Amino acid sequence: MQKHKLILNIRMPVKKIGITALVPPELIFACGASPFDVNNVIPSSRKYPGNKLCAWTAIWKEMLVKKEIHVDSLIVVAGGDCHNALVDGQKAAMSGINTHFFFYPFDGDPLYMESQLHRLSEFLGGIKRPEKFKEIRELKKQGLIIDTKRCCGKLSSSEAFRTLISFSDLAGDLPGFTRNISTLEETDIDLGNRIALIGVPPIYHDFHEVARSLGLHIVFDELPYEFIRHGGTTIQEMAHDYCNYTFARPLEFRIDFLKKELRRRKVDGVIHYTQFACHHMLEDEIMRKKLDYPMLTIQGDLPGNTPQQIKLRLEAFREMLDRI
Amino acid sequence: MIGLDVGSTAAKMVWIENGDIKFRITSTHKWKELVEGIDGDNIVSTGYFRNSVPHRASLTELTAAIYGVRHYFPNAEVIVDIGGQDTKVIDVRNNNFLINDKCSAGTGAFLEFVANYFRIELHELGTMHAKADRIPDINNTCGVFALSEMISQLVGGYTKEEVIAGMHYAFARKISYMIPEARSIVLIGGTVKNEGLVAALRDVLKKEVLIPDEPQIINALGALKYFS
Repeated sequence: MQKHKLILNIRMPVKKIGITALVPPELIFACGASPFDVNNVIPSSRKYPGNKLCAWTAIWKEMLVKKEIHVDSLIVVAGGDCHNALVDGQKAAMSGINTHFFFYPFDGDPLYMESQLHRLSEFLGGIKRPEKFKEIRELKKQGLIIDTKRCCGKLSSSEAFRTLISFSDLAGDLPGFTRNISTLEETDIDLGNRIALIGVPPIYHDFHEVARSLGLHIVFDELPYEFIRHGGTTIQEMAHDYCNYTFARPLEFRIDFLKKELRRRKVDGVIHYTQFACHHMLEDEIMRKKLDYPMLTIQGDLPGNTPQQIKLRLEAFREMLDRI
Repeated sequence: MIGLDVGSTAAKMVWIENGDIKFRITSTHKWKELVEGIDGDNIVSTGYFRNSVPHRASLTELTAAIYGVRHYFPNAEVIVDIGGQDTKVIDVRNNNFLINDKCSAGTGAFLEFVANYFRIELHELGTMHAKADRIPDINNTCGVFALSEMISQLVGGYTKEEVIAGMHYAFARKISYMIPEARSIVLIGGTVKNEGLVAALRDVLKKEVLIPDEPQIINALGALKYFS
């Protein structure tokens, strides 16, 4: 009897799967693994990589290769998102990490998306815990509520951002993440200037607090919003939803989506964060032409506190919005 | 009330006396001398160190520049503020601005670097430029490598005056990439006192270049105007 009990309690260790951008976390959990967004450690990392273009990809690559981040496997989002990740992902793969390259369809083809999700599922050993799809769908509904609360001044932008950005991997721990969400306390915030933050998230860990202290309340974080708005309870459903991941689609598609969100959230201005040596920098002039809002473009490079030069730009932008 | 602009290299103080604009300028590290005996409640500040000095209110040098320039040129379209450590281009019409603070090649720091190399005073760069017969090409966009290129031109037979003129043109080209289409631009900042640089900018930009009487005090004046 005692022996039988022991056997029942033995569980296979949950595999930790590194992800480099948006990879459907519901599928990873459903395959019995745990996602770990390798970007989430970077803003507080104080790492200065030796050979780099974009610091985001260079740092996770270096940390993976040096085993400062331990993952059992790595999923690199290569097609239609981050171009530097394609190379830095291969460098990580060459260091011996079991790596899968995941591609989004540029044209939004759901069948292509479905084939990619099937390949990903195979790489992860197949779906073993389908109940996770619904569990995560419910969690993402909570994410949308958090986003709405932040937008109407019931939650600080920094707290909302910290939570929403974690939806990429749900902290690899569904019960813990659910508990954390439930501890968020409502508050009343004077919104002042309502700002949309578009582009990749800033590499500075205190950016939202700094913006707030300078009178800029971020009511929209473009990329974290992608983390909460996509989902599905089957591979087919996910394919039809994730194929519209805006960062992977043509610019016109993304801009149309942004226009609706900016209008819905009644933003006063847009901050376009660009990362040094990132292709998003090339998109800036198009964003400026197509989005009819006062726009500040800032460029970051290495992680840490928001530098004084960026603070000057934010403050001048606030003064400009006050003048309009 | 006084307007105090404490920038990266110079501190400027402006006040209005019987309708006339009065000012004092000193090095940044001597800023305290400017405000000796003046209560912080009577100071409005701007510039890089605006929040490190006593002040009743502060604003960024970008907004201060707009208010200061409007005193002289109410219809200013584009302002180019060439400071000691950065260059700011403000498109007043479109509420837009650009700042170069990553590269020294288009800032006063580069001119200081060159003057030190030639062992001359900063203000002599302009007078030496005027004596140049030819303008050598200096193409490097990096300040340090531009100096290497200048040395090569000296070895190649150009005079010191000509190489300095070539450097001013390289500087002007570097800034020109930041400037939007406009009929005219207003130049401000201490660096604008360099006549050689201004001549090069006029030639490269091919547009009307307006300069206030005392371009270095514009931001201090703007802070004063904003809060008056």
